[in-house]
Amino acid sequence: MKSDNIIEVRDITKCFKVFVDKGNTVKERALFSKRRKYDYKQVLRGINFDVKKGEAIGLIGHNGCGKSTTLKLLTKIIYPDSGNIKITGRVSSLIELGAGFHPDMSGRENIYINASIFGLGRKEIDNKLDDIIAFSELEESINHPVRTYSSGMYMRLAFSVAINVNADVLLIDEILGVGDANFQAKCFNKLREIKAKGTTIVIVSHSLGQIEQICERSIWIHEGVIRVEGTPREVHPVYLDYMGQKREEIAEKEAVRQAEKEVVLPVGNEIIEISKIENVSLDGDKSENAQINTDEIKEDQNKKRWGNGHIRFVDVCILDKEGKKRNVFKTGSDIMIQLSYKVNKVVENDVAMGIGIFRSDGMHCYGTNTLIDKIPDFRLNEDGMVVIKLKNVMLMSGVYVLDVAIEADMSIPIDFYREAAVIEMYSEINDVGLCRIEHEWQYEKN
Amino acid sequence: MKLFCEIYDYREMIFSLIKRDLKGRYKGSVLGFLWTFLNPLFQLIVYTFVFSTIMRAGYDKYYLFLFVALIPWIFFSTSVVGGASCIWAQKDMVNKIYFPREVLPIAHVTCQLINMLLSFIVIFAVLILSGHGMNPIALLYLPIIIVIEYILALGITLIVSAITVFLRDVEYILGIIVMAWQFLSPVMYGVDMLPEEFQSIFLINPMTSILIAYRDIFYYKQTPQMSTLLLATILGIVLLIVGVVVFEKLKRHFSEEM
Repeated sequence: MKSDNIIEVRDITKCFKVFVDKGNTVKERALFSKRRKYDYKQVLRGINFDVKKGEAIGLIGHNGCGKSTTLKLLTKIIYPDSGNIKITGRVSSLIELGAGFHPDMSGRENIYINASIFGLGRKEIDNKLDDIIAFSELEESINHPVRTYSSGMYMRLAFSVAINVNADVLLIDEILGVGDANFQAKCFNKLREIKAKGTTIVIVSHSLGQIEQICERSIWIHEGVIRVEGTPREVHPVYLDYMGQKREEIAEKEAVRQAEKEVVLPVGNEIIEISKIENVSLDGDKSENAQINTDEIKEDQNKKRWGNGHIRFVDVCILDKEGKKRNVFKTGSDIMIQLSYKVNKVVENDVAMGIGIFRSDGMHCYGTNTLIDKIPDFRLNEDGMVVIKLKNVMLMSGVYVLDVAIEADMSIPIDFYREAAVIEMYSEINDVGLCRIEHEWQYEKN
Repeated sequence: MKLFCEIYDYREMIFSLIKRDLKGRYKGSVLGFLWTFLNPLFQLIVYTFVFSTIMRAGYDKYYLFLFVALIPWIFFSTSVVGGASCIWAQKDMVNKIYFPREVLPIAHVTCQLINMLLSFIVIFAVLILSGHGMNPIALLYLPIIIVIEYILALGITLIVSAITVFLRDVEYILGIIVMAWQFLSPVMYGVDMLPEEFQSIFLINPMTSILIAYRDIFYYKQTPQMSTLLLATILGIVLLIVGVVVFEKLKRHFSEEM
């Protein structure tokens, strides 16, 4: 072990038996030994990393990637199949809060029980008792039985004990969402304080923000191996990018599934409708059937779509700049809206086509039409298609809906179609607000 | 050796678990901790009534004869039967936190030991109040007997608690075995009631010599024959070593099984 390393993880692998039908009794073991089927699930396939003293690292990855297993291995709750882990010093884990709490005993008594489970001696607990009570903000309630506590008080007490254990290595699993905003801020400050004192911290979290606040290194575990390792600034954008793609795939799959479901069961459900419209062009036959159904439903609901129907949208498609259908975009990318329409009756008056983008909470983000944009000689005399190219869409991550409309004489609705499509935005940057404003920082270097 | 150091480091956890168990058990009841004494006392009153008026046994002060062996037997049986599930019962803790797993069976058996010691207070009180009296020299042997029984109980509890994690039936099977064991041990009768040819077989049972020793000290007021305890001592130590080894082997897989 290198002298400045406090944790060394070498080639660890871990495989879990996943029982299809688990029998834990003698009868089941003896009689159905062949029936006790199980599959092996290789969770970790060779993980290597070092952590230096005083360093804080974050483990990230999607659900089931093996990050929590890694943490459990570090805690010695489970042991690796191969490879080895070396840790020097006292390890404390904030995986389970309030271990061993007895509901009928007072908060004070429970501090002793809980802290002793972390391996503290009586004297150590005596010394820390005041700190723990002060940190928990429980005041007089500390002498009341724990069962009288609210869940927030319970967690505060539990967290106070766990965080006041003087450990050399602190392992934290997804528990920083304790208490109200004030208490969370306090926990974070405490973590920073602990880190400044030289405690090594390993955090597992889905909240990249939390990791960025504390850790100087992120490790992205993917399918049981380390995919990327580096500063959070380097790793997180790559990770978010991957997650965004993944979400797109899921959204697409879901859309296909919904479209298939639609044909069988035309339910007047708002969400299904939306996805229907997005996908009707996937398959010609389906598209027609679905469209008819949709129209009927539309008329019934009467809120989502109205107008005299001389011209009607038959397909609303969201495409990326390569012309591929998708609904999930990264902030700043180009989006193309492809509107196919059918002319039932030629409209003599001036016709205008427009779009509106609304955030899922109803906030109107953007709207324009052919009149505002002064498109010369805009006519819709026969069936056709209009494509609107949206460049550098700077909407922040979230779900947006698209309204489309055709109007005559600036006020007569021909086909007004609300929530014709859904666009989901994601971003690897954590800026906030409605849309990103391009900016740069200027400052004088001292 | 490392294991013992680690368990020693976690001694506070053992104390807290015992305290939680003892104090938590009667929490919420009006008499609270007093029940720890009242329970054996009422048991004794029932035995006295039953065996002095309803069923007359062939022993003088049979209730005492029975009680001084029954209390140590209860220590042993609750240690083993209750101890079987002591790890399974704490699976939330075992799954989430690291601590030397041996702490759980140790705390459980020690807790039962303390319950027995508290019951001894009742025995002492009865011995004095009934005029039966005590032999101070014989009492000096009491701690030795307790230690031997403790080692035996801990060894067995380590083994069964670890196995129960993998095979839940052990807990229930043990309930039956221990009940049979009680009737094969001189709890309700003395060894002198047995036919000659069975006596030597009976002595293989380590609890026989231990119970005889308790009875010698309290009931017959004589020093126990230490030579008869040799077998129980050796067996206890062997079982403890086996227990530690088995437990050490199995504990690595506890979390995955639960």
